[in-house]
Amino acid sequence: MSSTVGTSSRKVIRLSLLFRMQHLALTLLLTVLAITGFALMYHENSLSQWIIRFEGGIVGRGIVHRIAAVLLMANVIYHAFYMLFSREGKPELRQFFIGRQDIDDFFQSLRYNLGTTKEYPRFGKYGYKEKFQYWGAAVGILLVSLTGIMLWGEEYSMIFFPKVVLDLAVIIHGYQGLLAFAILFLWHLYNVHLHPSVFPMDPSWITGKVSAEWMRAEHPLEYEKLKEEGLL
Amino acid sequence: MGHSLLTAVLAAAVFFLAVPAGAGTPGVGECMECHGDKTIEKALPNGKVLSLYVDPQAYRSSVHGGGSCTSCHVDAKAPHEKLKKVSCGKCHGDAEKSYAGSSHGKLRAKGGTDVPGCDGCHGRHDIRKAQDPSARTFRLNIVAICLGCHKDRVIEQKYNLPDQKVMAAYEKSVHGMASKKSGLLGSAVCVDCHGNHEILPGDQPRSATHRQNIPTLCGKCHPGILEQYEHSVHGKGMRAGIAESPVCTDCHGEHTIAKIHDASSSVNSRNLPKTCSGCHEKEGISTRYALPKKRFSSYMDSFHGIAVEYGMTKAANCSSCHGVHDILPSSDPASMVNKANLPKTCGKCHPNAGPNFAKGDVHVEISPKKAMGVFAVRVFYTIFIAALVILFALHVGLELYGRWNRRKEKDSAGKEGRS
Repeated sequence: MSSTVGTSSRKVIRLSLLFRMQHLALTLLLTVLAITGFALMYHENSLSQWIIRFEGGIVGRGIVHRIAAVLLMANVIYHAFYMLFSREGKPELRQFFIGRQDIDDFFQSLRYNLGTTKEYPRFGKYGYKEKFQYWGAAVGILLVSLTGIMLWGEEYSMIFFPKVVLDLAVIIHGYQGLLAFAILFLWHLYNVHLHPSVFPMDPSWITGKVSAEWMRAEHPLEYEKLKEEGLL
Repeated sequence: MGHSLLTAVLAAAVFFLAVPAGAGTPGVGECMECHGDKTIEKALPNGKVLSLYVDPQAYRSSVHGGGSCTSCHVDAKAPHEKLKKVSCGKCHGDAEKSYAGSSHGKLRAKGGTDVPGCDGCHGRHDIRKAQDPSARTFRLNIVAICLGCHKDRVIEQKYNLPDQKVMAAYEKSVHGMASKKSGLLGSAVCVDCHGNHEILPGDQPRSATHRQNIPTLCGKCHPGILEQYEHSVHGKGMRAGIAESPVCTDCHGEHTIAKIHDASSSVNSRNLPKTCSGCHEKEGISTRYALPKKRFSSYMDSFHGIAVEYGMTKAANCSSCHGVHDILPSSDPASMVNKANLPKTCGKCHPNAGPNFAKGDVHVEISPKKAMGVFAVRVFYTIFIAALVILFALHVGLELYGRWNRRKEKDSAGKEGRS
């Protein structure tokens, strides 16, 4: 126990400043997009009607939604380039690859919680929870962006696609948004706020740092790597 | 002698002049000797005082001013007691006959003294031709005459008349404003639609305002629109005797007809979907005439519908695509919504519209039969999101369960260790 006391005050970097800025932009823009988007999707609801009026009516809400969408796409493209080509991003991206290990980890975590094994899975920097979150959001944003662009320039889209494709685009855009919202609101917010190991909040999205003890418990492989590199 | 002779001649002259009047019919001048006095009046049994004054000036300039009092007051002598009722029908036989068949005439025959007779609208001694701007029945004056009674709540209740508010609404309607505010003679006033002497309630087939007469009635002033309507699906249906086929008033209203840009108009771009859906969202009508269903809900869920709902007037409403008075079924090659014409129709607002605009439904009714793709995607997402939420909940539950279990084990192990 004495070792825990000794390390509990020590902090380790989990998110660099650039990643925190990308995350913050993503948070704000997705919130704006969700509010403007769902108000339109559920336009019969009285709260939606109030929101649409607040946003400056049907034209105003569209402008707000598209400004946020353009900024979000810029953010995502920047992120993609950063992950593919930068010195910091490249190894980071590699750690997000999904492998056999993640499936094993998932089942081991189930067994661990059911009490059939005493071993908690040994996660790297990103476990199956984070990877699911990351790729889920990536696929979601890609689909919503593509359909959104199609719907934005509906006259030009219909030079290439029949109307029925745009009908599909509307449905996919809305429901994919709902899916992303479900993942973010229920899964992500639970994991970073309500999960007993971080409650009331994982501070890394602001400070970029987590406690070394939390790292050792939740991401032991990353902890050991940092220790080997002498960063701890 | 000479003096007495003069007197005799004068007396004879007076006698000869006076006798025919006194014994037979008095002239206007004689009547005016009494009735030209502003103070002449008679006390009625109910305590009220009836003025018997006749304004000579008004009478002379009236349409009857060239005649004599006795043409109407046939039993008048000088002096006289209460005279018989005047019969206008003696000269105006046709008008009297029409009037007798009207609602006013029938009620009056039953003894309704507050129901207008001839004088109720035309006046008495001051009757002028309807073309005369100072006539009570002149186009721009008649509305006030009719509303004099029809805006009266007491009369409304007594005779079970249409709501006086509906009557009064005419004054604010496009027709009412045109005649009242602009003095436009071409604007419809009460009698143009309801007739004059032979007014009947609209539910009677002989009434000018009965449903089957409405298009022709409105077409008197709007002939170009009537012609379009006659060729439309609604006009043909109506002429074929289909009672549910709309006539002018079903879309435009009656006394409340307003300009199309007026927010209160039932055919204003914002209100139009509701007006059309009055029939087109009814199961019965859709089934009976084999019309496509869910036209309103599918429109209101489309971007056009939402935009119109939030006041974006340039977004397409029903008439933007289907037409107005010239609506044709989509199966008609001349219809604006025939598949072949859709690119052109959409092109009114979407300049780059091409053949792709016609590939797919405009009113997307999300059902396996009508739009399988959209339906399948929606079902897929619904199941996927629901399953995901359930799995999240299970995962969270399992994590908490494991944590709670381990703590219990640890606690019991700790206790054992201590003991």
